[in-house]
Amino acid sequence: MNAKQEKSLSRIKEELELFDPIIPLLEMDPSPASALQVPILKNLCTQHRRTIECVETGEPFIGSTYTNPAEILTAMDVHWYFPIQQMFSGPAGEGTSHAAEDLEGLDKMALPGDSCTFMRLELYYQSQGLMPIPTAYLALTEPCDATAGVHAALMHHPDWRDTPCFAPDPPYHNNDKAIDYYAGEMRRMVDFISKHTGKTLDMNRLKEVVEETNKCYTMWMEYNEIRRSTPTPHSYIMPMSCFFQTNTAGAGGNPEITNWYEKMVADAERRVTENDPEVPNQKIRLLWYDIQPFYFGEIAPWLEQEWGAVIAMDMVSYCPYELIDTSTEDNIFRGLAKRSYQHGPMVHQARGSMDNVMTDITRIVKDYNMDCVIFPGHMGHKDMAASASLMAEVCRNLGVPFLHIGLDQADRRYTPVDEIKNKLSNFFTAMGLG
Amino acid sequence: MDTRINSKALKRFTEVADSVVNPEITKWKNEGGKILGYFCSYMPEELATAAEFLPVRLRATGSSGTEFSDSFLSNLNCSYPRNAFNMALQGEYDFIDGLIAFNSCDHIRRVYDYWKREVKTPFIKILSLPKKAEAAQVEWFRSELVDLTKGLEEHFGVTISDDDLRAAIRIHNETRRLLTELYELRKADNPVITGAEVLAVTVASTAMPKSIYNELLKELLEDLKQAEGINDHRARLMIIGPEMDDPEYIRAIEDQGCLVVADSLCYGSRLFWGEVKEDIADPYTALAQYYIADRPSSPGVYTEYESRAQFIRNMIDEYNVDGAILARLTFCETWAFEQYSMVQDFEEWNIPLLSIDREYMLSGVGQLRTRVQAFLETMEN
Ligand code: SF4
Ligand code: SF4
Repeated sequence: MNAKQEKSLSRIKEELELFDPIIPLLEMDPSPASALQVPILKNLCTQHRRTIECVETGEPFIGSTYTNPAEILTAMDVHWYFPIQQMFSGPAGEGTSHAAEDLEGLDKMALPGDSCTFMRLELYYQSQGLMPIPTAYLALTEPCDATAGVHAALMHHPDWRDTPCFAPDPPYHNNDKAIDYYAGEMRRMVDFISKHTGKTLDMNRLKEVVEETNKCYTMWMEYNEIRRSTPTPHSYIMPMSCFFQTNTAGAGGNPEITNWYEKMVADAERRVTENDPEVPNQKIRLLWYDIQPFYFGEIAPWLEQEWGAVIAMDMVSYCPYELIDTSTEDNIFRGLAKRSYQHGPMVHQARGSMDNVMTDITRIVKDYNMDCVIFPGHMGHKDMAASASLMAEVCRNLGVPFLHIGLDQADRRYTPVDEIKNKLSNFFTAMGLG
Repeated sequence: MDTRINSKALKRFTEVADSVVNPEITKWKNEGGKILGYFCSYMPEELATAAEFLPVRLRATGSSGTEFSDSFLSNLNCSYPRNAFNMALQGEYDFIDGLIAFNSCDHIRRVYDYWKREVKTPFIKILSLPKKAEAAQVEWFRSELVDLTKGLEEHFGVTISDDDLRAAIRIHNETRRLLTELYELRKADNPVITGAEVLAVTVASTAMPKSIYNELLKELLEDLKQAEGINDHRARLMIIGPEMDDPEYIRAIEDQGCLVVADSLCYGSRLFWGEVKEDIADPYTALAQYYIADRPSSPGVYTEYESRAQFIRNMIDEYNVDGAILARLTFCETWAFEQYSMVQDFEEWNIPLLSIDREYMLSGVGQLRTRVQAFLETMEN
């Protein structure tokens, strides 16, 4: 390994050093919450080790992004990592030494500050050589201009310019023509992966993997149903993990992950049946309608403890995943296409028309018996900012209070946590909640 | 800085660029003609021409503010759609019979949503614009154009035959050839036309019937043959960026003593570069091929950065450009990341680049002048 490769792994190695010792401690803790955390951390550590191994040995591996089908990569037995993973050792891993350092480094870059900080950080990590350069890269051109733009910039970096890149092109429409087109993109993606890794796709293996992820999605949807209960069974930490469990490396099609979902559903069911919610004295049920800020660890527990306010549903969890029909090859690719370009968080809400925003908020408020809707309003979400007035209108019609905060999910300096808490407190008080 | 010619044609173009409604539009409307408004340079105007409609690209020229659109869009949104939608809410686009939008950016996508709800334009359609430019995307865009034709035929009771479309392609190709001739004149050591004037000419091409426009442009090209070259400029600049339809913006730059001789703007060269191939049998394929694959792309076609950079580099060489200004609209993320790569390339090329964030409506002219002055000084040192 040369010095560049060594540096590109440094954050991953730091994260391993952080998580590795925690796993045995959690394993000793008899609480159900700890038992549920263990597989998540184990999976993360295994993936990091695989990335290190690939860089060290020269084994082909892929850089990919969050809506590209984990099923295809798993079935082709190709290792991959998310370049944005670095954030979880940086600003996302609040408390690590890098949070402030990375944001200050970012300030010095020639990047307009009004564009999504999350994506700008990705370029910062690249500029610092903190991302392992993959054999090939699967980019993403949805759900927003920032995601698409960052991939173009990423691939232009001198160190990455020779890395082959495939960017599936998500259409705007949801009709059959569009699904067929995107299914074609998925097939072209398979060809691309084969060409650059030498791995081939066995359709029987893909079917098997999809059937396994179908089980995960079934469990996840069941879990969402249980969250309708009052009081809601879990603190917010648990549901936050669902999406990443189906989409990260090592998770798609892994029976251990299915098992994790089953345990989580069982624990939620038990808590509902025995009236044993993780958060006692629940007073406010709220819908958090945006992604979670990196520093949510300071907000979600505060909401629960200070106000008895639980996030009974959130935007990332409320996605219309459908099970994929595995009866034919065509159906599998069409199903993966829909899952990939229509269903994932942000993609579902931001890529197409804003009708999904209206219908989702309406259904969630009614089905989950919400007391209020919070729109954090990440500064990168230009389409969501443009939808805020409509969200407010929908909430007015439903007779449910609505708060638009305005924050930066990656940079707490934009709206300090205390200010966010003040806004929330004032809102709860003014609306007579809590 | 202005040309030293007195051209009636140039005056007409300048008047058209100065307002949203021009005498040609009024005449067209009074004669019962239909008008198809559209956002985005990816609209194949040929389809409208083939239907005997007048295609008009939607600007927000003369906008009085955003007080109405602020109830819908936010202050994190680009000022171009905010101003344009404000005008629509005030009824200033009531003259269009149809609106074609594209999912070209996060902001325009939402304008389309609100337009459908709030503005009573009889025919509204959004086309899905590919974000890359390979064979499958050409095919996809072709199918979108066929769908648009069907929609127009059904709604307006017209027929658009392949021959109509071929005829329209010929007229629009003539426009492209004439504009290319105009751009050729800018390569001279002492060009006969300023950047501001050229922008007025290209903007006018999006708001006039092409047959009339082409005749006027021929007249202008004749007039320019007599014109004296401009020789008192300190530097030859290129302008790069998204929506820029106000010649006054370029005039403010040129007033500092430089001359804008080239551009990569979506109201400039990227609007008309090259031609639609007339020897492709299927006119829809020919259009899709031109708009998606052959013409220099906008940054919304994210995978094509390298060819965009090459296009700019070629222009710099061919037009003997000393430095460039990249004028991005605030909150435009598409151009934010484009700018990031551009800055690196200009450094590699060792060509001065000034990056400016601006608002759609011309404001802060004093600051713009100061920055351009400083930029010109650094170039001279
Ligand atoms: S955080 Fe939002 S704006 Fe930023 S890249 Fe993700 S979806 Fe786009
Ligand atoms: S300038 Fe950028 S944000 Fe504004 S309308 Fe154009 S692409 Fe969209």
